[in-house]
Amino acid sequence: MTMPEVVLRVDDLSVAYGRHRALEHVSFSVRRGELAAVIGPNGAGKSTMFRALSGIVKYSGNVELCGVHCHHRRDRLVCAYIPQRTDIDLDFPITVDQLVLSGRRRFLRLGQRPGSSHRAAARDALARVGLPDLGARPLTQLSGGQAQRAFLARALAQEADLILLDEALSGVDQPGVDGMLDLFGQLCEDGTTMLVATHDLALARRRFTRCIAINRQVIADGTPAEALDDRALEATFGSGSFRSVVA
Amino acid sequence: MAALSWVTDPYQSEFMRNAAMVAVLVGVLAPTVGVWVVLRRLAYLGDAMSHGTLAGVAGAFLIGASITVGALAAGVTMGLLVAVLERQRRVSEDSAIGVVETFMFALGVILVSRNDNVGVDLTHFLFGQIVTATRHDLAVNGLLTLVALLLVFVAFHDLRMTTFDAAHAAQVGIPVGAIGTVLIVLISITVVVSLSTVGLLMSVAMLITPAAAARLVTHQVATMTAVAIGIGGASALGGLTLSYHLSTPPGPTIAVVTVGWFALAAGWSAIAGRSAGIAGRHHVGRAVAASDV
Repeated sequence: MTMPEVVLRVDDLSVAYGRHRALEHVSFSVRRGELAAVIGPNGAGKSTMFRALSGIVKYSGNVELCGVHCHHRRDRLVCAYIPQRTDIDLDFPITVDQLVLSGRRRFLRLGQRPGSSHRAAARDALARVGLPDLGARPLTQLSGGQAQRAFLARALAQEADLILLDEALSGVDQPGVDGMLDLFGQLCEDGTTMLVATHDLALARRRFTRCIAINRQVIADGTPAEALDDRALEATFGSGSFRSVVA
Repeated sequence: MAALSWVTDPYQSEFMRNAAMVAVLVGVLAPTVGVWVVLRRLAYLGDAMSHGTLAGVAGAFLIGASITVGALAAGVTMGLLVAVLERQRRVSEDSAIGVVETFMFALGVILVSRNDNVGVDLTHFLFGQIVTATRHDLAVNGLLTLVALLLVFVAFHDLRMTTFDAAHAAQVGIPVGAIGTVLIVLISITVVVSLSTVGLLMSVAMLITPAAAARLVTHQVATMTAVAIGIGGASALGGLTLSYHLSTPPGPTIAVVTVGWFALAAGWSAIAGRSAGIAGRHHVGRAVAASDV
């Protein structure tokens, strides 16, 4: 059996905000169809790493997406970043249809309106995330879980090979979390690759096939059993404090 | 019949018809641009740009250049200066705007003080002098409005995407910085077109208030824009007509009418919100009863 292609290769990635080094010498790679949890304490650099991979913050090192070294914005069109809910104005006057259709912008020229094929792709993306009938609804009227699914649909409409979800499961109730993770699993089976930043270590252990523990640098990387053992957790979260996190 | 003549009487003369057309141009353009200013929470920048334009107007007066060009140049310069200052991590957006506004307004006052003859004419630009609008003013404002509306139409989707989620917009290939610059140019054009109607000091009323009112009663940017234009146009014509009958200054009267619309929208939104809350509680009550919990 051949190994799936590498979708994301990160080599010696470092990010600094002024004198503060948020990430140092981070290296790892992710293959097509992988569903990986990125764990770490607050301030560990999870969001910074996602923002660097998306080209939103400056970094040193190399990022390769689907075999292409990322030097320009256009090199990252296959990557979708879904920020934390607190970073998004969920009261913005936009419908779910319009939100999802915005994922198609990479296929349009300046000023070009999306045509019927783009609308069909957006409808298909909404159906895949289980929101086929909510297209006309304003974003502000969705629940937390529905809003996350709508953003996921935007990423699918973008035809992203790699989706980065920053704290996507925060504020979603337990049935919603389970439904989201079922959906993640289905999308990964279909060939999408997903990195999900989360604080929920029990969830990471239970529902993910791979965990990357970071605290400014990669502390552990492997199956949940490997990356979430006591020694790795202590190195990631600090002595003793991880036990309260796991609990 | 009396009501109709109350509306039409003011517009028997050509200067009032010119004034009405100039007012409608502002009533359409300012809310169209204002929608983006409100959604991006840039009301302070809009206000500051209207004040900072004084430097361009006064400078143009002194050297005998076009007021329109002077005001446009000042607006764009101001927007760019704010953008440059904002790059300093420790300078917040409002601080940057405050610094640049103070500089530009102070520069304007200094330039005015250098020439005593400028003062009287500048009063027109500070408070508006719509009834002196000429056909030339109408043509210039009409052209600027057309250009601005065309820019908004072409960039509408990208404006929405960069306003809602700039990170995603950049990721799918939208030039976020260029769209931001387009918005600065649009605000500058709006301030220039507002000069002759409500004046510099109250142009922010037409820029912000109709859009803020529309935001209260709509759920989409397109409908918000349409409602804001409706409020802007009605305020411009309504305010002008009122000012004729009440013998009040047109600019401030138009500004007061926009605030009246805002109060109506706020009242409507509060009532609708309360009704939705009551309906929601009934719905939850029925759901709880149905589930027999």
